[in-house]
Amino acid sequence: MIKFHPNDQLIEKYAAGSLCTATSVAVATHVDMCSRCQQQVKDAEEIMARRVLQDIRTPRSANLEAMFEQIIESRPPKELKQEQVDPFISLEGKKFRLPSTLARQKHRIGHWSWVPGKMMKAHVDIGEQETLDLIYMAENSKVPEHTHRGQEITLVLNGVFNDEKNEYRDGDFVLLDKKHTHTPETQHEDCLTLASLDAPLYFTSGIARLLNPFSNLFFK
Amino acid sequence: MQVAQARNNGKQMKRSAIADSAKCSAEYLSGLLSKVALEQSRAAFSELFSYFAPRLLAYGTRQFGNEAIASDLVQETMTNVWHKAHLFKADKGSPTTWIFTIARNIRFDFLRKNKHRMNDLSADDLWPILAETNESFDDDVSLDQTVLLQEIQSYYAQLPDNQRIVIEKIYLEGKSQQEVSDALEIPLGTVKSRTRLALQKLKEMIVSHD
Repeated sequence: MIKFHPNDQLIEKYAAGSLCTATSVAVATHVDMCSRCQQQVKDAEEIMARRVLQDIRTPRSANLEAMFEQIIESRPPKELKQEQVDPFISLEGKKFRLPSTLARQKHRIGHWSWVPGKMMKAHVDIGEQETLDLIYMAENSKVPEHTHRGQEITLVLNGVFNDEKNEYRDGDFVLLDKKHTHTPETQHEDCLTLASLDAPLYFTSGIARLLNPFSNLFFK
Repeated sequence: MQVAQARNNGKQMKRSAIADSAKCSAEYLSGLLSKVALEQSRAAFSELFSYFAPRLLAYGTRQFGNEAIASDLVQETMTNVWHKAHLFKADKGSPTTWIFTIARNIRFDFLRKNKHRMNDLSADDLWPILAETNESFDDDVSLDQTVLLQEIQSYYAQLPDNQRIVIEKIYLEGKSQQEVSDALEIPLGTVKSRTRLALQKLKEMIVSHD
């Protein structure tokens, strides 16, 4: 059972197409996994469609009749094929199934590399100056306590991790910003997450603070 | 909700509501879309165009603050409606919602056009509403053939014979649904429904064993 969902505002902005690309992918992937949010997005689209398409504008310059003729005469737009992609990725001898939005973006997933704390990371290249990564935490791994300078979204794709406050499982969508300090860790199970981050982590305790100057190398 | 909207939009709403009340029901608009899809009916498209183009223009002008860009949005949206009306599924939502989501996708890409690079993620990646889908995969079962084989061999045997045979012919022998229909001498519709049922069942098995 998914416990943590994007809030109403995020759902609405997602349906409007107004979120930044990385956040859109994170929300879309959660929606793939969550029937409750699928319904919410559907409802939001419906309400928004009615609302934004209720006013009429008579064009000042555009000539709609000419446009009508052009459309009738136009050639069909390029056909978009729904490609059947193998939705599985292999990591450390295990197979993970990607939700459909991510599976369609599989060609954007870069190489996996180790980062401190028994974790691996692969960048998802969405073509923007935004950070979207797949992060794999092995069993008993731990990210040093940190806060966020910007906004961090973590979506659990498979497995479980916890911080001081909660436990997060498949489909859970966690949004944190600079108000939150936490120490994510895994216990007996590993965890694959999708994370979007709009500024480097800021480590807050002990020797981990030495990582701060380099945190963007590891986590961004 | 509607009451609040009507109040907010005052007279404009009242005027358009009276003019359109008969012609803007979802059933009526769906009927027009299916005429466009099946017969390329110019008359049906003309009605859809007169109804939606000024609304899309209002939406686009609010979004971009620029009527020229807004009218590109209208043109691109309505071009898709004209050529891709067959992708509208009345059981999945209203025509207004469908057309809005097309416009929303185009707006998403317009906003990223300035810094366009080859690799940019586009709205179609997020919301593939205009992608041609293989009938048998019209929900989001996205398994390719080899994975399907690896994953489902054990579940396979649990399918009823008539479904398993259809699946075998399509996914092992690579036959089209029409060819299967000819070979087994059963109607195409039956092949499609057996395929759908079988895939659904396999999907359930895969999900519950995950």
